[in-house]
Amino acid sequence: MNILVFTKRVAATQEEELRILDEGKAIDLSKVPFKVNDWDNYAVEEAVRIVEKTGGAVTAISIGGAESDEVLRRAIAMGTKDGFLIEAGDVLHDPFTRGELIRSFIQKENVPFDVIFTGVQSEDDQFGAVGGIIAALMGLPYASMVIGIDSVEDGRMLVRRELEGGLQERVKIAAPCVLSIQSGINEPRYVSIMGIRKASKVERKVFKAAGYETGAPKIEVVKWTYPPKQGGATMLAGEIGDVCGQLLGILKEKGVYQ
Amino acid sequence: MSYTLIVAEVRRGVFEERNLDSIGISVLLGKEAVLVVPDGAYEMGEKMVDGIIRAKAAEEVFLNPLNMGNILEQVFGMRGKPDHIVFTHSSSGAESAVYAAGLFGFPVITDVSGYDRERGVFLKSYYSDKVFGEFRTSGDGPSVLTVRSGSFREFAGEKAGAAKTEAIENVPVSDARTFVEYVEEEKSDIDITKAEFLLSVGRGIGNKDEIPAYEELADSLRAVLSGSRPVIDKMWLPKARQVGTSGKTVKPKVYLAMGISGEFQHIAGMKDSDCIIAVNKDAEAPIFQYAHYGIIADIHKVRDKLKEIAKG
Repeated sequence: MNILVFTKRVAATQEEELRILDEGKAIDLSKVPFKVNDWDNYAVEEAVRIVEKTGGAVTAISIGGAESDEVLRRAIAMGTKDGFLIEAGDVLHDPFTRGELIRSFIQKENVPFDVIFTGVQSEDDQFGAVGGIIAALMGLPYASMVIGIDSVEDGRMLVRRELEGGLQERVKIAAPCVLSIQSGINEPRYVSIMGIRKASKVERKVFKAAGYETGAPKIEVVKWTYPPKQGGATMLAGEIGDVCGQLLGILKEKGVYQ
Repeated sequence: MSYTLIVAEVRRGVFEERNLDSIGISVLLGKEAVLVVPDGAYEMGEKMVDGIIRAKAAEEVFLNPLNMGNILEQVFGMRGKPDHIVFTHSSSGAESAVYAAGLFGFPVITDVSGYDRERGVFLKSYYSDKVFGEFRTSGDGPSVLTVRSGSFREFAGEKAGAAKTEAIENVPVSDARTFVEYVEEEKSDIDITKAEFLLSVGRGIGNKDEIPAYEELADSLRAVLSGSRPVIDKMWLPKARQVGTSGKTVKPKVYLAMGISGEFQHIAGMKDSDCIIAVNKDAEAPIFQYAHYGIIADIHKVRDKLKEIAKG
């Protein structure tokens, strides 16, 4: 089975303060570190595990600037056969445009595949839309929130989708298809610096996004803003011993601690 | 005539509460609200919409992206194309929404949590709620939206007139993707929804080796240990201890969150707790917006100090 898996380089903003620039025209990411999108890491791992059993090959594909090569090297270190970079200068905010770019790329370059994997969403824009859009544009069946792949045989896959509240649904889906992989589906393997260094000897092909047809974006960002304020917490401040004393005081007051 | 189409989510015979957010945004959009639902005998907010289309399909057939295209086509045939098509921002709502956008070439914005009527812009989270983008659709055709649970339900209310009901008699079922069965979570001896005091840990704890020290803290405070999605995904704690939309919804007396930034899906699972205390080293962590008390500090230091005081 041949699997295409999409992987994205994203800003690691978990512990970073984000500043908005030029009255909402841009977000300052100049001091923010970058990493592989968490969901894509699970998707790459799942793809590699499947071909280890069924045979075939995994190709990792990334859309972005030249720096995105690092997530391709990482994917190769995890076991993908090769990596394609679709080099795009601008950030494509509209998932529809990204979907069209991918469809056009796969068709024009005649990239063979049985299944396409994406992560459920990317950590930066959290759209969770590209997988479904490429499936629809290419006329393929689709399942998202895939938290388990139970069997792969004869052009049919049995997969489990995560719903809410701990519930899952098992669905049967015909290949070729597009699956969006949920985090937690597996335990991604550790990637060492040595492994990545070795992977960089495998050639990554670079394609220019401009060579593939897309329509005009269907949505646009008018402005970036800070989050709307909710209630906000009463902050406990002081020396650590003092703060912890106050915290225990609250626990006593609420009757959960004596 | 222009209208907003609301695609309902029904799960195991229950009209999900988050549909109220879809109904709520339709009020803000100001057009006639038409609800399309899988036909069945459940309470569905009939009085909150102007029209109902009952599609004669089982719930698993209805909210399957491979069948949704045909259902929407039939709706367009009956009523023309709407201005907006609203789905829930849930596992199945979002899945069908993005697929439908791809099929029909409609613009799509997911996880919408605000709408500015005057400027016609939709608010959407980026970077786990650290910033928001104001979006406008510029393409042709109806806009497809998925709306964040809890964001718009306050605007939903009863309408004066009775809803007009229509039916879709026949929904062709795709065999490219078929429902097999529901799979329940494995039974566990711990039920975090019953705990009065939860100590919940998140990505901020850093690695698995830190778990035992938080277990000790939970023991000395007589709290039950739970966790957010990243901790469960990494298998540092079992699934039964997950707080959030894909895990458990909890309402303890005290919810002490350590190293949890406050992803929306997590907040949705704990925001109704009596008292929320958040400890995080990132002063900008969204969880401080929802907590009653906050401490900006290194969580491991707070953990060790709390243990020390609790012992003494």
